[in-house]
Amino acid sequence: MGSSSEDLRDHIIGLLPRLRRFARSLARNIQDADDLVQITAERALARAEQLRPDHSVASWLFGILRNAWIDEGRSRRRRESLLEPEDLAERVGDPAGGTDPELLCLQDALSRLPDEQRLAVALVLIEGFSYKEAASIMGVPVGTLTSRLARGREALQSMLSETSGVLS
Amino acid sequence: MTFPDEVLMAYADDELDARTRAAVEAAMASDPEIARRIAQHKALRSRVHSAFNKVLEEPVPARLLKVVRSNPSGPHKNNVVPLHRRPVRRWAWQQWTAVAASLIVGLIAGRFALVRSRVAGPIVMRGGRVIAGGMLADALSDQLVATQSAAGPVRIGVSFRSKAGEYCRTFALARPAPLAGVACRAGDDWRVRVLARTEWTTGGGADTYRQAASPMPPAVTAAVGNLIAGEPLDAQAEATARGQHWRP
Repeated sequence: MGSSSEDLRDHIIGLLPRLRRFARSLARNIQDADDLVQITAERALARAEQLRPDHSVASWLFGILRNAWIDEGRSRRRRESLLEPEDLAERVGDPAGGTDPELLCLQDALSRLPDEQRLAVALVLIEGFSYKEAASIMGVPVGTLTSRLARGREALQSMLSETSGVLS
Repeated sequence: MTFPDEVLMAYADDELDARTRAAVEAAMASDPEIARRIAQHKALRSRVHSAFNKVLEEPVPARLLKVVRSNPSGPHKNNVVPLHRRPVRRWAWQQWTAVAASLIVGLIAGRFALVRSRVAGPIVMRGGRVIAGGMLADALSDQLVATQSAAGPVRIGVSFRSKAGEYCRTFALARPAPLAGVACRAGDDWRVRVLARTEWTTGGGADTYRQAASPMPPAVTAAVGNLIAGEPLDAQAEATARGQHWRP
């Protein structure tokens, strides 16, 4: 077990950048996103025996992160915009890295989607999972995933089109 | 032949079987509307993907690496070591009272917030782009480096022409948070190109931005380096540009 546990740790470490990216499409700010990744890593290590040999470690971890986000979501507050002045400080990167406004813009648009559409968009468009993998992470049939993805995309498209008005 | 949008989306995501894919490709060749919708799906996918890809380049915070390296694995193997858990919050009545009190305050404050939120914040989104709003937009359009007040809420750093020919200006804000960035003129808007946290030192009772003590954040300096064509504008060139409403 010792060596397989070390394998799992290495695997998780290798996936941390992707888990952080996924979390950033769900959480309000960088801090909350990294909290989600931390919860995911803790839960994965505590439940290592639940990982079946035939199961993809990535799908398993993304599924844990998705569940953690849904659990945390009970306390989530919906606001008009992620660009609310009081939120800006925690959403903007440090002096060295800064933040690309394009990322802020897309995070803001994603946050306006219903949770299930947002997950579908994040898993397929951002994380590049196939429809089948994304459906399995979300625990729904592929048809359900496809229709959520289509609706989420349509909503995003209209929010992001150059001709749309002020988003608020 | 017509296809439901879900099929065109699946084509853009490379999720169709060979036969349906061939049928879509045949239709695409004869129907520009189908080709346009597929291109739109692909463009959205690539826009979202490339924006979030930047997260992959960020260094992974040490606290995450530490959790993965040192947290015990498995529930049975390490019974001796308690798992690191976030403390479950159990609230005492004092806290519930505090919550109730803050809700009442919130209700009162909410009435004012409604009024306040009509004033645009410094960073707003329009047409899928992040642009300067409110006092930041005003400062970018009106403030000259040579004559700006040291006590104002926005400080302009340098103005310059970008390689694309547009006028760009660096700025620093004290409120709502100490932020700095670069904005470039696009039509009647100032499109924000980069944002970063910065220092805004408080001295002598009033907020003063000490440029010497706290220079532009490296992210802003780097963005200027990438955007700038030639030298920054001098005072006269800046005044002229303002006179022309920053149109190239």
